[in-house]
Amino acid sequence: MRPDVAARIILKAEKPLLVVGAEIADHGGAPLRTAVRLAQELEMPIIATAHSCKFLEKEGFTNYVEMGLVELTNAASDPEWQGVEGYGKPDLIIVFGAHLDLMNALFQTLKSFSDIPTLSISRYFMINADFSLPNLDEDLWLQSLEDLCREVEKGRAKAPL
Amino acid sequence: MTEKQRVKIEKMSSPVLKMGNVEIVLGKVEDAWDEPMGPTPKPRLADLRDWDMKLLNRYEPFYSPICDMCCMCSYGKCDLTKQRRGACGLDMRTQQARTIAMESVIGAACHGAHARHVIEHQIQRLGRDYEIDMGLNIATEAPVTRAIVGIKPKTLGDLEEAMEYAEGEIQNVLSSIHTGQEGDYKDYESKALHIGMIDNLVKEIADIAQIVGYDFPRGDPDAPLVEMGPGTVDHKKPVVLMIGHNVAAGAEVLTYAEAYDKLDTIEIAGICCTAHDLTRKNPKAKVIGPMSEQARYIRSGIADVIVLDEQCIRTDILEEAKKVGSVVITTSDKLAAGLPDMTSRPADEIVDKLVSGEIPGALILKPEKVGEVAVKTAEMIAPLREGRKAIPSKRELVKEAKKCTACEACMRHCPVNLHISDALSAAKKGKLKALEDLRERCIGCKRCEAACPKEIPIVSLMEKASEKMLKEKKCKLRSGRGPILDTEIRNVGPPIVFGEIPGVVAFAGCSNYANGAKEVPEIAEEFLKRRYIVVASGCAAMALAMYTDEEGKTLYEKYPGNFDAGNLANVGSCVANAHILGAAIKIPHIFARRNLRANFEEIADYILNRVGAVGVVWGTYSQKALSITTGLNRWGIPVIWGPSGVKYRRLYLGRRDQPEKWEVYDAKTGNKVPAGPLPEHLTYVAESKEEVIVSIARLVMRPNDTTKGRQIKLSHYIDLHRRYYGGMPKDLPLFIRTEGDIPITEKETVKNILKEAGWKETPIPDPTLLERMIMKRV
Ligand code: SF4
Ligand code: SF4
Ligand code: SF4
Repeated sequence: MRPDVAARIILKAEKPLLVVGAEIADHGGAPLRTAVRLAQELEMPIIATAHSCKFLEKEGFTNYVEMGLVELTNAASDPEWQGVEGYGKPDLIIVFGAHLDLMNALFQTLKSFSDIPTLSISRYFMINADFSLPNLDEDLWLQSLEDLCREVEKGRAKAPL
Repeated sequence: MTEKQRVKIEKMSSPVLKMGNVEIVLGKVEDAWDEPMGPTPKPRLADLRDWDMKLLNRYEPFYSPICDMCCMCSYGKCDLTKQRRGACGLDMRTQQARTIAMESVIGAACHGAHARHVIEHQIQRLGRDYEIDMGLNIATEAPVTRAIVGIKPKTLGDLEEAMEYAEGEIQNVLSSIHTGQEGDYKDYESKALHIGMIDNLVKEIADIAQIVGYDFPRGDPDAPLVEMGPGTVDHKKPVVLMIGHNVAAGAEVLTYAEAYDKLDTIEIAGICCTAHDLTRKNPKAKVIGPMSEQARYIRSGIADVIVLDEQCIRTDILEEAKKVGSVVITTSDKLAAGLPDMTSRPADEIVDKLVSGEIPGALILKPEKVGEVAVKTAEMIAPLREGRKAIPSKRELVKEAKKCTACEACMRHCPVNLHISDALSAAKKGKLKALEDLRERCIGCKRCEAACPKEIPIVSLMEKASEKMLKEKKCKLRSGRGPILDTEIRNVGPPIVFGEIPGVVAFAGCSNYANGAKEVPEIAEEFLKRRYIVVASGCAAMALAMYTDEEGKTLYEKYPGNFDAGNLANVGSCVANAHILGAAIKIPHIFARRNLRANFEEIADYILNRVGAVGVVWGTYSQKALSITTGLNRWGIPVIWGPSGVKYRRLYLGRRDQPEKWEVYDAKTGNKVPAGPLPEHLTYVAESKEEVIVSIARLVMRPNDTTKGRQIKLSHYIDLHRRYYGGMPKDLPLFIRTEGDIPITEKETVKNILKEAGWKETPIPDPTLLERMIMKRV
């Protein structure tokens, strides 16, 4: 999937939720800045798994909820889940920056036990996500994240208030 | 206890009967063990099902299916996605739980068959009546066996009774996996928990039999520091390398070398748990390292003879050995490797055939014969093999590296996502540092080589790049001490239960690390410095020895080997990790005077609510690591896995947003009271080293902590959270019952957090999940 298509999926969601993992600060910090840009633009909290909250704090971003990746996956696979406190139940879960095995587990679990759609914007194609960027080399991936942010920002600017 | 009475008749002569050398078993008699039989001797599946359901209702199983299908029978394969059911009626959740039960039963069967072999071998050597003597300071010789089976084993023969019970349970649970049996996922989980408990039992049996049979250290905190690392072996000597988990054959190699005074002229070394146990028999044996070393060490060509026993052995060893002309001896009917059975042939004939190359290896099922053949063959073949290795020269390395097209196939197949092509790109220019660094994080699985379209021998290139480092790689491992002493439990029982020793952190499991083995010692040292009790076994115990500080010291040289605050105790091989659980079981028995005999539920309830112990398996891969974890969980001990653990596909996770699940009975009043999400999970997967550290600090909290104990635990939690997560934890209100729980130095900050959260004080219970433990109702 191209970044502009991913952006359209995000823009269509009423309550998207972004999940970022401990590897978010790798790759020179560009993915981290993407996360913050998206969260601010879409006024959504970030689920900060493992020690990723440390990097969000450093970026001055505080609208995050600390949760283990499997804790979030577990809660989201429960049909009775009320969602994140003060935000509610998401209608799209966007994931990147976490350990591959754990992201894979999230997509597999939610595919089997939840109706919430999922979108991977990580560097590798995630076969069990409902929507996913393809396998990309690092430069192309970072460019895709940039394009995605720009498309989301453009889309929001156009949207009626 | 009930046990068999044996009468030995050496010679008897009467008008009607003449006989000699006969042993008669007269049946079972009561002995003098004054502890009354508890409610669940030799529990069957249904006997502890209520306890399992208590756990499973609180820690609802979380499933992450690896596969959408079930292909277990020829009705299928069946697609189980989107609420579909298989042709037999099975749904996705139940199929996952069934897989977990199956994998746990494989793990338990592995340890069980190992235990059975050890008992038979020791009985054959020493006789059924050989006494189990665990030394002066261990009166509770077999806590797991006592609590489950309800017997107090006095002789090797007594262990057979426990073994027979375990084997029956393994068969029963295995049968439940058949198509058209269990249809409820929680009931399958109950079976997995049951078989995990059986796994604990057979490990204890196996290690007790080894300890008494080979005279291993009996809970010795000062067990010797032994040499570990690829650099410890003198290449000029003949080398016998043992790989696996059952030391029977390896022990005989040592015995033969000892008897013929060859310990200084040949090298006897091991990989995996057999290596641990070799050093427990004789500290002159050397430890190469964990499973990740198998393929690459063999390619280095150093081993002349490779003796395989059982479990976690690469199945391509013979193929790798042939490349460098090493001889392979298999010693177990579970792993014959296609080699000819030479058990009945004379030792010298086998040696001749091996040395001449007539056969590439041999299956020898008599451990004593293995000892003789391995040593003699190594001595004869070593001069013939000189210089044989499958590691390229530097020129060849650069040539191979130049073939790389940076297609990234290797990286996509690498379980730890190593960026191999970047390192090869540097190697093309003769720069090998990146390849050497890669080896530190590589787990030696060879998946990259299989994936590479250019057939680049990536593992061998890393080995070449690391040659100098490996030659110098020597460190010190404390040999496995075996059980924890009763005297140690007497000292640390009260501070653990009241929370003043903040926790017991137990490292176990395999070497499939997410980010290199270095993280294991880093995690351990964080808690050693904070005066937690740290214990270890198996490959994880080796990982703790693999890294040295600036002064060249490993953790084993820096921290004493007692079961005490700020100490690091290596109990030994994987089967020895039963003693870690044994220590947790001894706390209620020795300190709180709870009956142990056939009293599983009460002991587990005590551990769950009062003993702040946490297991860490940072590198999971085997079915045994799953059964070990599941067993610990049934006793109320949480375990944290590294990221690969999620591929087991099931976790036991609590939900802090469901406060009704966290109520316990206050045993003094019978009232149900909130106890906080403690411990919050039973099986958890952490994503990073930082998350493991913070999770340990959280998971050691228990409802029974005194205010002083909770203060200590919280102050570590806050400090670690600040250090690794960068701020105050937001969940403190969940763990504070009264203001007395607040660490003094954090009083004002924490009070503000509590105020903002609308926190209310809750009572500190005398916690239990068992109604029958309530003393009186109000
Ligand atoms: S065991 Fe059941 S679900 Fe599995 S293949 Fe057979 S019929 Fe299908
Ligand atoms: S051998 Fe090492 S580099 Fe190759 S796939 Fe396995 S872990 Fe990765
Ligand atoms: S698979 Fe082989 S060719 Fe491709 S990047 Fe890896 S080493 Fe290079």
